[in-house]
Amino acid sequence: MARAIATSAFQALKGTYKGVVKISVLLVLTYLIAQGLNSFLPAADYRSALGLPNRVAVWAVAELHLMFAAFVLGVPIFALITEIIGVATREKRYDDLAREFTKLLAMAYTLTAVLGCVLLVLFIVLYPKFTGILSKIFKPTWIAYIVLIFGEVIVAYLYWYTWSLLQGVRKKWHLLLGLLVNLWGTALLFVADAWVTFMMSPAGIDDANNLVSLWGVIHNHTWMPINIHRLLANVAFGGAIVAAYAAVRFLNAKTDEERARFDWMGYVGSFIAIAAFIPLPFAGYWLGREIYQFSEQMGVSMMGGSFAWLWILQAMLIGSLFLASNFYLWLGMGRIPGAERYTKFQIGMMIVLTIGFIVWATPRSIIATGTEMSAMGGSHHPFLGLFGVMAAKNTAVNLMILTTFFSFMLYRRGNRIPIVPWAVAGKALQALAIAAAAAVVLGYGVYSYFVPSITRIGFSVYQVSAVLTSMALFVAIDIPLLKGAREIGAIRWGHIPARAQYALFFLAVSFTWLMGLMGYIRSGIRQHWHVYGRVMDESANAYTMAHGQATIIVSCIVVVFFLLVSVVFWLAARGGEPAESPAGEASAAKAAGSAA
Amino acid sequence: MKVTIAKIFLFMLAVVSLYAYVGQLVPQFEEHPPKKKVITPQTTGDDLVAAGQEILRGKGGCLICHKDQERGNERGPDLRRAAGKAATRKPGIAAEAYLIESMVEPYAFIVEGYPKMMPPAMKPPASLSMAEVKAVVAYLQSLGGAEVTVSVQAGDVAAGKKAVGPVHRGRQLMDANGCLGCHKLAGEGGAVGPELTRVAERREPAKIAQKIADPKLWTAEGFQAGLMPPRPDLPEGDRQEIAAYLAGLSGKAYSPTGAASPWSHEGVRLGVVIAVFNTVMLLVLAWARSREKSPLSPGPSPIEGEGRNAAGDAT
Ligand code: HEC
Ligand code: HEC
Repeated sequence: MARAIATSAFQALKGTYKGVVKISVLLVLTYLIAQGLNSFLPAADYRSALGLPNRVAVWAVAELHLMFAAFVLGVPIFALITEIIGVATREKRYDDLAREFTKLLAMAYTLTAVLGCVLLVLFIVLYPKFTGILSKIFKPTWIAYIVLIFGEVIVAYLYWYTWSLLQGVRKKWHLLLGLLVNLWGTALLFVADAWVTFMMSPAGIDDANNLVSLWGVIHNHTWMPINIHRLLANVAFGGAIVAAYAAVRFLNAKTDEERARFDWMGYVGSFIAIAAFIPLPFAGYWLGREIYQFSEQMGVSMMGGSFAWLWILQAMLIGSLFLASNFYLWLGMGRIPGAERYTKFQIGMMIVLTIGFIVWATPRSIIATGTEMSAMGGSHHPFLGLFGVMAAKNTAVNLMILTTFFSFMLYRRGNRIPIVPWAVAGKALQALAIAAAAAVVLGYGVYSYFVPSITRIGFSVYQVSAVLTSMALFVAIDIPLLKGAREIGAIRWGHIPARAQYALFFLAVSFTWLMGLMGYIRSGIRQHWHVYGRVMDESANAYTMAHGQATIIVSCIVVVFFLLVSVVFWLAARGGEPAESPAGEASAAKAAGSAA
Repeated sequence: MKVTIAKIFLFMLAVVSLYAYVGQLVPQFEEHPPKKKVITPQTTGDDLVAAGQEILRGKGGCLICHKDQERGNERGPDLRRAAGKAATRKPGIAAEAYLIESMVEPYAFIVEGYPKMMPPAMKPPASLSMAEVKAVVAYLQSLGGAEVTVSVQAGDVAAGKKAVGPVHRGRQLMDANGCLGCHKLAGEGGAVGPELTRVAERREPAKIAQKIADPKLWTAEGFQAGLMPPRPDLPEGDRQEIAAYLAGLSGKAYSPTGAASPWSHEGVRLGVVIAVFNTVMLLVLAWARSREKSPLSPGPSPIEGEGRNAAGDAT
């Protein structure tokens, strides 16, 4: 026994060591290539390579790097959550699920690192002047970043390789490792965000762009909001990718057993994705507010300039995400005996979602032409203009969130009938909580048309708190309410139409596309600045491109991303279980669906 | 297996193409950064003169008071003759130096018959650099038919080259259109018209936008009517932008931009896409429901037993 532990600990160390060597080689290579090119190429402010348009090259590689980074940060969060659920419920399949995805990490890390290195080389080659300015200001953070990368690689590899070693009583150490992976990953994210946000909202430098305070540079206006926004989005993204993977496997499954397992996996993935997705709009508002506070001008060009059109696109994407997730839940109810009881709500919910969607997509901040204005008799449409303002949009999105939450709760209850004596009162209270929240949201939404805008902005806080409170209340009642509830029948995992799997895949694609679009808006609103207001983009690429072109580029990036992800999944599947796993555990993943 | 993968791939292509297609429905235009003429010691002759003309007519705001052609304002002397008179204006100072001085320190010498009102060119609102002042002098010299003697030194350029942050577009427009020649704004500008810093407290922003096009709309108390030049030539969007900037100075929110008319071309197309999308979703749902109702699902499967409420546990 002791020997077995020693060997497996040795294997874990060996695997980790290999990972460290891999990253070191990569970093050294990048350094050599970058230095070599730098001394070989003629000095210039801007260069172009192979006739590629600079901006598109950097854009594509940066976005892919970001998506993979989101993936490698999101997956460990997802893994840790499911692992904890596994410990709490003592259900092995959760542990296996966490493990199956952690397995992807090694491959995904390598790809992320390669993309990051390519990006760095591109920066140095194509934008030498700008890179020089940034690297001077951020010098101390580079070192921290490299230290963090190694730390992340070490803990992540240990997390993976010690999976079977640290089971049973030792499980808590494994959970601790999982926590470390995530802390490290978050620290990495925060450092990288400092660079990005500095470009948007520079601080901590004097008029001549000399460093005054490094902390001031890091802790700029948009740093924290972006940190939080990205953290949440990473969880949602990780979940969405897991769900997409499950969907693909489900569609290709041969046996009922496999179908059951992947159906369940898709459900868990989408659940985590949607749960993390719900607070995202709130984080987005915070970011928006900070942008306005940093520079009204930037805020205006974000919301009111040509970018206003992209928000309509964003509204359409978010609307689709809401619709698709509700659609998936409703289809999923088909496999829950007893859920027919709730079908009657579906049409109503669909109507709320559709109206919310349309209101949200009503444009507001778009410059109308002279003829349009005279046709409308003012700069706003007399009737539809009412729906364009933020008050209406807040109301709409809050109602959509509430509806989706309600769908979820119905789904959860699908096959159960509460038996506690206070069941009727409890259910009434829950209905009341939802109704009250909806009333508060609607009430403030209407009222806000009668007050000045300064007061109106505060209302969104009440609306959000009403929604959050009612959700918390609902869940607080739900848990004791369903304790020992009578079951109508067990969930028939796997008995879900293929359409539902396409809905899951749609969620993942839309989510990725949304990330690409928002990334474009975020960096596009800097307009012709590398560092907003400080370092001007003087290259031929300084203009803001037409939206049609930008959306095509985003689409291409998304396709490439999914192709690369499939390669990762494919390689991981081919590699099979690591030889390090003691026999007996190896088949664990395969049996996951039925083991309990 | 292959067929399914192909189907999924096509599905993905369809989704991203749909999004890219919607991206084509919105108005398409490129936004270019503002052009800036960089004046360096190498800029000489006609280039320098051209740069000077552009500054004098634009950024410098000189035409609010002067004229450089037959028609124009006569609050200050006619600039076509400035270079010719320069040599004799002030004893002991050469023509070129006088011209520079009259721009940089206008109060060092006041031309007879004119009030003391010209703002120093290197101070806000014009905030010219020495290189730009010299470019203007070059233009003035060429206007008078004289030889262009002025030349830009390296030091002149550096003085003006400080990273300036972005300004509100409304403010940019006010600078570019010479409003500050007559109006004081946040401590800068002339006093021919009323101070505009808090004007939105007494006037509706929408009205301000109209006033720019048609100053006859009202006359500010204590000021003379008919002085403010009507600017109907400014595009509506620009006037709205100025009004929004002024509104912001008074702490008011004013969106210069309106909801696009839903009857406009893009609005209709976007509306159609959204409507079609929703209808399709509803139809799919209805179809799915009808399929669910039909006794298609087989009996309980062997895995049923373990599926106990994972839905609940996952929450
Ligand atoms: C608010 C009105 C105003 C503005 C704006 C203004 N000026 Fe003047 N300028 C005057 C007046 C009045 C005089 C005559 C009194 C004086 O010498 O100060 C004058 C005098 C001059 C003179 C001397 C003319 C002579 O015949 O001796 C020059 C040169 C001149 N201005 C150039 C400029 C330039 C170049 C600009 C733009 C950067 C400019 N001014 C902007 C009002 C103005
Ligand atoms: C030649 C000098 C001159 C210029 C240039 C000028 N104005 Fe005026 N403006 C005046 C005078 C004089 C008044 C006061 C008399 C009146 O109301 O017509 C005035 C009044 C105003 C008022 C009304 C203020 C109030 O208290 O009611 C506004 C607003 C205004 N101007 C805006 C502008 C803007 C914006 C521009 C630039 C596009 C501009 N002005 C350019 C001279 C000028």
